[in-house]
Amino acid sequence: MIAVVVVRGGELPSGGDEAIAECGGRAVLVGSGTAVAARSLTGIATELTTVELEHFRPAGWAAALSALLADEPAVVLPGSPDGRDLAPRIAALLHRPLYAGAMSITPQRVELARKGGTEIHQTHPGPEFVATLQPGVRGVAVDGALAPPTVSDATPTLLPRHEYRDPTVVAVLPPDPATIDLAEAPRIIAGGAGLDREARMQQLEGIGLLLGASMGATRVVTDRGWVPHQRQIGTTGVVVDPDLYVAFGVSGAVQHTSGLGAPDHIISVNTDAHCPMMQLADLAIVADANETLDHLEALLRDEHAAPRSAPR
Amino acid sequence: MSTPDVDVIVVGAGPAGACAAIVAARAGLDVVLLERGPFAGSKNMYGGVVYPRILDGLIPNWWEEAPIQRWVTRRSTMLLTDTQALTVDFRSGAWGEPPYNGATAFRPDWDHWLASHAEAAGAHLLTDTTVIGLIRDIDGTVVGVRTDRPDGDLRARIVIACDGVNSFLAKEAGLYEHTDARHYTLGVKETLALPKDVIDERFAVRDRHGVDIEIVGCTGKVNGGGFLYTGLDTLAVGVVLKLPKLAAQQQRPEAIIAGLKRHPAIAPLVQGAELKEYSAHLIPEAGLTMMPKMTMPGMLVAGDAAALCLAAGIWLEGVNFAMASGMYAGETAVEAIRAGDTGATGLAGYQRRLSDTFVLKDHRKLRKAPELVLSDRVQHLYPGMVANVVERMFRVDNPEPKPGLRRILNQERKRAGVRRRDLVRDAWTGFRSFG
Amino acid sequence: MSVVVCLKWASVPGEPHDERFSGMSAADESALEFALRHAAILGVGVTAITVGPDGADRVLRDALACGATRAIRIDAPTTAAGTDVATAIADHILDAQWVWCGDYSLDRGAGSVPAFIAAHLGAEQALGVIAIELHEGTVRATRRLDGGRRELLDVHAPAVVSVEGATARLRRAGLRAVRDAATTPIEVVPATTPIHRAEFMVRAYRPRARQLAAPQGEQALDRVRVLTDATVTSAARGETVHLEPADAAVRIMRALREWGYLEVE
Ligand SMILES: Cc1cc2nc3c(=O)[nH]c(=O)nc-3n(C[C@H](O)[C@H](O)[C@H](O)COP(=O)(O)OP(=O)(O)OC[C@H]3O[C@@H](n4cnc5c(N)ncnc54)[C@H](O)[C@@H]3O)c2cc1C
Ligand SMILES: Cc1cc2nc3c(=O)[nH]c(=O)nc-3n(C[C@H](O)[C@H](O)[C@H](O)COP(=O)(O)OP(=O)(O)OC[C@H]3O[C@@H](n4cnc5c(N)ncnc54)[C@H](O)[C@@H]3O)c2cc1C
Ligand SMILES: Nc1ncnc2c1ncn2[C@@H]1O[C@H](COP(=O)(O)O)[C@@H](O)[C@H]1O
Repeated sequence: MIAVVVVRGGELPSGGDEAIAECGGRAVLVGSGTAVAARSLTGIATELTTVELEHFRPAGWAAALSALLADEPAVVLPGSPDGRDLAPRIAALLHRPLYAGAMSITPQRVELARKGGTEIHQTHPGPEFVATLQPGVRGVAVDGALAPPTVSDATPTLLPRHEYRDPTVVAVLPPDPATIDLAEAPRIIAGGAGLDREARMQQLEGIGLLLGASMGATRVVTDRGWVPHQRQIGTTGVVVDPDLYVAFGVSGAVQHTSGLGAPDHIISVNTDAHCPMMQLADLAIVADANETLDHLEALLRDEHAAPRSAPR
Repeated sequence: MSTPDVDVIVVGAGPAGACAAIVAARAGLDVVLLERGPFAGSKNMYGGVVYPRILDGLIPNWWEEAPIQRWVTRRSTMLLTDTQALTVDFRSGAWGEPPYNGATAFRPDWDHWLASHAEAAGAHLLTDTTVIGLIRDIDGTVVGVRTDRPDGDLRARIVIACDGVNSFLAKEAGLYEHTDARHYTLGVKETLALPKDVIDERFAVRDRHGVDIEIVGCTGKVNGGGFLYTGLDTLAVGVVLKLPKLAAQQQRPEAIIAGLKRHPAIAPLVQGAELKEYSAHLIPEAGLTMMPKMTMPGMLVAGDAAALCLAAGIWLEGVNFAMASGMYAGETAVEAIRAGDTGATGLAGYQRRLSDTFVLKDHRKLRKAPELVLSDRVQHLYPGMVANVVERMFRVDNPEPKPGLRRILNQERKRAGVRRRDLVRDAWTGFRSFG
Repeated sequence: MSVVVCLKWASVPGEPHDERFSGMSAADESALEFALRHAAILGVGVTAITVGPDGADRVLRDALACGATRAIRIDAPTTAAGTDVATAIADHILDAQWVWCGDYSLDRGAGSVPAFIAAHLGAEQALGVIAIELHEGTVRATRRLDGGRRELLDVHAPAVVSVEGATARLRRAGLRAVRDAATTPIEVVPATTPIHRAEFMVRAYRPRARQLAAPQGEQALDRVRVLTDATVTSAARGETVHLEPADAAVRIMRALREWGYLEVE
């Protein structure tokens, strides 16, 4: 198995190291600053091929890489934005099946998270396939004893093929200011499909203010249009790493939790005692999230009123 | 008068609406069935038991296809006090075989199934579509409805309002003289999950056989009643509560259900069951006392929308009354459109059909029942009194000789503070209603 | 046929597969809305296409009711493999200029079909798009990158664009349109290439035991382990309590106080 990892300005994508580790240390680094990225992989990678290319182009790059990958039976990409874009184009060019959003990948067995992360579909792949690995599910053990990886550059032979059509990149924008507070928030209070109406999200926001926490949501909630997509926590949303995470009516699907970092404290309120979010919680409360919110809001208001309110 | 888009608009794809649509569509009329939910029955709730006999004509051998949970082969009525329980328990093997009597069923299944028959008959079901008003011409005749969709007006020769309790259409048409909170009860229900074999064992039933338990004296200071029904692998536990009392007592319905589930006679039945769903809905309780005018030029009202739910206190039958009145409304619409008269006289057949059948006959017979069963005496005095009487009948106080029933009765009546006059009157009302 | 929208009919996760709980994903709804707006700008019609069984007509009728002008269903089971679905679609829309897709289908949710369609058509692709500007000749799309960064793309026809669910609200269909849609003929065609069933062993989700990202502080290690290792039960990570809402709130306050989140800064 070999990993294909898109590098931007020397930076590895989310799950890049995991994809490489899943492939036992063999990888092709493609993009800008591949040499820099290669150096950061000591202890994880064993054998690296770098392909230095500017401006991400899924179709063109897939074509450029196909020759290099033709003899590789199993090709693994991280399920990062660029990985999800590039993988199907490589699979199509090599006429191979694609297993997208895998939890674990071996030549004999691939496990995929499906149905909104509620099920795992297990399959025995054919001899040749392409797969993307869900970022954050594997983890990486850095092996201090491991020698630095061998790095060979394949750039000159692999220029992008321009007959392949790709959109033109106008600009790469910095993180949306609207997401910063969430991405950097030390405390997050999040709502999921368990909430019964849109107003609950404003209520969450209000409670968040009282608690010094930012409001986040799951994709089901952003899909409902209850809050803008900037509030979506997870692999295709904002990746966060708070100390405190309080979840109301969140099932804890892998795409959500793998964007959650490693909070010191997790509280989950859910009617289903057995869903993943409850498994992760320090305090898992089986109760109706909506009514609990009403009571919690009241308590927090008292808490805040208490010191100030002067006795008449 | 403006030209109609269709022959009949049925508002509401509950049991009443579906049956009205089936009848009208089968007669070859162009029928549109409007439902606000994403599918028929999606948002609908009730206690859990249907009595579908009325479908025999409409869907022959309905029991071979109807989406039921269990056939009710056992009916119990319980009198509860804090510590006592007196149960009258009846079983019938016959109810477990065709043509069957009652069944437990989920509304999203039942209503969806009925509505699919309406579609099969050619009616056009439009979901996610809420009726927000009536279209009437100068003389007040109903000529269509306005929906919440863009260009959402739809005109028809006849509108059949089957939009359920508190019918917005019947009210807008001014068919209800007055509406009074005292005429409604609040029904709240919990659906609990429990494995089938556990249910079979706890309720002593087998296969698809099930139980229907009605309960008096389990709602504390709030007048009402309770029920416990068996689904295949679920239980429905709920209470029906008088609104004014509920408000006065400032009690939360959930708390009252919780109390019921804790009662020594109920707890063992529901123990370990996992809460799946909590729902609440109003019930038109007062029957004849509150019924609106059922017809007006261009419009018929059926089911709960016409307060046709038979709430004989705790015995709740609404679905069958809804299905029947829906059918009769459908028949009347066909008759009227064929005769080319959708005015008052053309629609007169509806009232007649209701009066000549169980729909209004039962309501007349049980006219006084709700009042009686929900009266303070029946609610708060009789359960204790009766339970004490029975307890003393069965208690062995040797060496004391067994006391006679009449003496016990008298003593317990006095102890309960019930006047003989009232007891006799209530007994007579009860006999007239249920006897 | 210059504007096409691909809609998948599938059942909502967690619900039984039952037509009552089936429909298109929020992402597909956004795609449909953009297809309609785009077609309006270009002054052309919208072709809605789905690969699925009879039941899938439902999403096509919804599309017709909202303003799609043509509906094609490629007859195949819902279990059809993603690559085959893409091939089947591509073969029917070879002359398409703009193909709108959702970012994910309700069940498979892999987000790969659009890319495969683009590959087949040799078209440009912009996937998982979170913002769209429609212009005459081009579409300006905003794509998510890692770390909250975003990429602005100018997309030119022929192209496949897949959008996330929150990018647009699908318009509400008019009453008359809904009624007409029910009788509009749907073109049902067989797949041009054989459709394979995606074969899987299904089991309930369970997090994978994570390898630990060293070097990190001891607690951090434990945190990561407990956070993600399924072998650690909720009991080990924390406690599970059944409470009435009121008590639940009190319990949360207690925990927040114990953990020092209520101290006034
Ligand atoms: C490629 C891909 C990328 C994705 N990216 C993301 C992402 O970045 N972020 C993300 O969040 N999702 C993402 N998803 C979606 C993800 O798979 C899940 O579908 C989603 O996270 C589920 O959100 P949820 O927990 O709100 O809804 P559900 O999974 O439906 O969970 C709702 C929960 O609420 C509980 N509940 C119901 N009623 C109540 C009540 N009254 N009180 C308390 N609890 C109640 C239920 O028990 C359930 O646990 C992605 C999916 C795919 C395929
Ligand atoms: C707690 C409880 C327990 C009960 N137990 C039983 C029982 O065990 N057995 C029994 O037989 N009966 C029982 N009933 C009574 C029974 O539920 C009703 O009598 C019956 O549902 C009436 O049927 P319907 O079709 O008239 O109205 P509904 O079933 O209420 O149907 C009305 C339909 O109209 C739709 N609608 C409403 N307004 C609009 C609008 N503006 N536009 C479009 N659509 C609209 C609704 O979505 C709904 O689908 C119970 C009721 C309750 C509340
Ligand atoms: N069977 C299908 N029929 C039509 N379009 C589909 C089908 N499957 C996937 N798509 C399209 O591809 C997008 C991504 O689906 P998926 O790759 O399954 O996550 C969906 O949002 C649809 O727009």
